[in-house]
Amino acid sequence: MQSSSGNRYALGDKVQIVDLMKAGHVRTPAYVRGKYGTIDHDCGNFENPEERAYGRVGRPPIPLYRVRIMQKHIWEDYEGPEGDSLVLEIYDHWLRPA
Amino acid sequence: MPDPLITDIGGHPAGEIPKEEMNQLYWEKLMIAMFGVLSSKGIYNLDEFRRTVESMHPDEYKKSHFYWRRLDAMANLLVEKGHINYNELVRRANERLASGRRDHAV
Repeated sequence: MQSSSGNRYALGDKVQIVDLMKAGHVRTPAYVRGKYGTIDHDCGNFENPEERAYGRVGRPPIPLYRVRIMQKHIWEDYEGPEGDSLVLEIYDHWLRPA
Repeated sequence: MPDPLITDIGGHPAGEIPKEEMNQLYWEKLMIAMFGVLSSKGIYNLDEFRRTVESMHPDEYKKSHFYWRRLDAMANLLVEKGHINYNELVRRANERLASGRRDHAV
């Protein structure tokens, strides 16, 4: 389902955060790679920080989403409340439909 | 597979977190102001700053403080982009150190 912004994910869509095995400056922390979550918010489109970090332009802007992941899915030994979740901002190319 | 970034520490044991009031030093105020000006003038951007910090030696990164990282990254970016000369930076820093004037007053 496409969102009203024209971006490929809409609120509530299930996604997996992929591991692009990319060296250099990236914004997706290691501990969430491979994890499943849902789209919580469409932040809009931004110039790619992975390009801007090296003096390149980073255009066209790419979609950035807030993805919600259950804490117990991230940490096997998580001892907090069952419903705890983490929301973090992930760029479109680090996501695939799940 | 590339090594994880030195800043990518989510899930690592944090150890004891010191809770103490730290006064901001005079040079730290000046440096933050300069950092902001150079950033707003488009000399470098936040992503370049992060990339520069991430390229620090891991041992240096662990020992470093907030302001040191910022200062090192700012200087490295100015050298990288040709705004200042590395040898001149080292020469002038050494002159300042030798003069005994460290400007570390609060």
